[in-house]
Amino acid sequence: MLTVRSQVLNRETQTARGILNYVPPSLRSLLEGLPDSVWCELEEVRLRVNRPLLINLTSKELLVDRRGQVVGKPGAAYLVTADDLVRTLQLVTGSSLYAVEEELRSGYVTVSGGHRVGIVGRTVMDGDRIQTMKQFTGINVRISREVTGAADTLMPYLLDGLRVRHTLIVSPPGCGKTTILRDVARLVSDGVASLGFPGLTVGLVDERSELAGCYRGVPQRDVGLRTDVLDACPKALGMFILLRAMAPRVIVTDEIGRTEDVSALEEVINAGVTIISTAHAASLDELLHRPVLKNILAMKVFERLVMLGRSRGPGTIEKIVNGQTMRVIGSG
Amino acid sequence: MYKIMGAMFVIGAAGFLGLTVANAYQNRPRELRDMQTALHLLETEIAYGATPLVEALENVATRVPSPVGRFISEVARELSAGYGATVREAWEFGLNGYRAETFLKDEDLSVVKGLGDVLGASDRNDQIKHLRLAVERLKAQNLKADDEAKRNVRLWQCLGFTAGLAITLILI
Repeated sequence: MLTVRSQVLNRETQTARGILNYVPPSLRSLLEGLPDSVWCELEEVRLRVNRPLLINLTSKELLVDRRGQVVGKPGAAYLVTADDLVRTLQLVTGSSLYAVEEELRSGYVTVSGGHRVGIVGRTVMDGDRIQTMKQFTGINVRISREVTGAADTLMPYLLDGLRVRHTLIVSPPGCGKTTILRDVARLVSDGVASLGFPGLTVGLVDERSELAGCYRGVPQRDVGLRTDVLDACPKALGMFILLRAMAPRVIVTDEIGRTEDVSALEEVINAGVTIISTAHAASLDELLHRPVLKNILAMKVFERLVMLGRSRGPGTIEKIVNGQTMRVIGSG
Repeated sequence: MYKIMGAMFVIGAAGFLGLTVANAYQNRPRELRDMQTALHLLETEIAYGATPLVEALENVATRVPSPVGRFISEVARELSAGYGATVREAWEFGLNGYRAETFLKDEDLSVVKGLGDVLGASDRNDQIKHLRLAVERLKAQNLKADDEAKRNVRLWQCLGFTAGLAITLILI
């Protein structure tokens, strides 16, 4: 048992250490020395010009000085220079801003390993649309983790014989929505032998390249063997394309909430395809007050609502609600 | 006997010198054309493939003759070394090696050098504009170089041998 656990930790540390390829030597030398206990909990590395280097773990925040030692006061911490930022960007974008134009407009770039690098600076507008960004001032490197098995306990509630129920995963930010959704997609696609579920063709619209973590078009995450990924495509458009082109039985997409998503959703459901999606909200009540989502919920199409929280760490399944009767039917 | 051998040596040496100078005049336009081809290829890679710079440079490097090809591949190698070298630094590094091998003049090189400041640092349209501008400027340099070559190549080819002959005649 202990060895299995240490193997998992080891693998997680290795994935996280992949980000070292995307920071310049000045930062690499000071991050490299951090102990494994930090690496396996690492969530974010934040770089802001002329401000201390911040490292966010699952439970706390760390400051690091220029020798790579953890320090208590911000005054003693390593100050990130403009040069650090420029060089990080060179590595993240492969020295080619033109190759990540679209990503830059949405504010982040996905790198090898599925990690995401958020970038802010001064935007250049073209009408009401962002043309590009320059004079970068902040970078946030977010470690992406694949927690296989995160949705194991959830599956019995989502299956209805050989079909999957329309499901909406609801959670505040940072509670593992994406991780759970990814794992659901994987389980639906691969099948769950213990439940006698054989696996279905899954279409995945990955608008923000977050679910499959595509790097140069190749999914970096295990999203299942019967899954087709439509990378960086707007959700509504993507659902139509998948419906017509790939004949999925289940469509998985992240964060519905815009008006055009609703009509796409209706189309999908009318075609007899199951939809599994997520929404940002702290509670069911809040969800019922969000203008667009309110309408979707009133349609009573979602058969299962899964509420996530952090009460036992990110990805805790707080409760599972029957979408038709609005009754709690289980918890993680 | 020695006189004849000495005379032959002087004529040969002077002739060789003349040929070398003539060669430089011939090589400059050719290299300018190679550089334009390289930039054209780079433009295609960026415009139609949005290929990341390192990969684009590597692709270009295999398709143009050295020393231009070697210069481009050196830049790609420096960029992919993984310590976050900026394009400007890598470009400068490549140019330093290239200066020793090139037949280009400083005025040609300044056009190439300017590209290092902008390459990879903006969106596609902007990259295309910069590359086209550089090619245009190289084309202008090319016309000048062709003109100089036309006037000077024959001159230096003959001048070397004639000068050698003149020196021998004076010495005898």
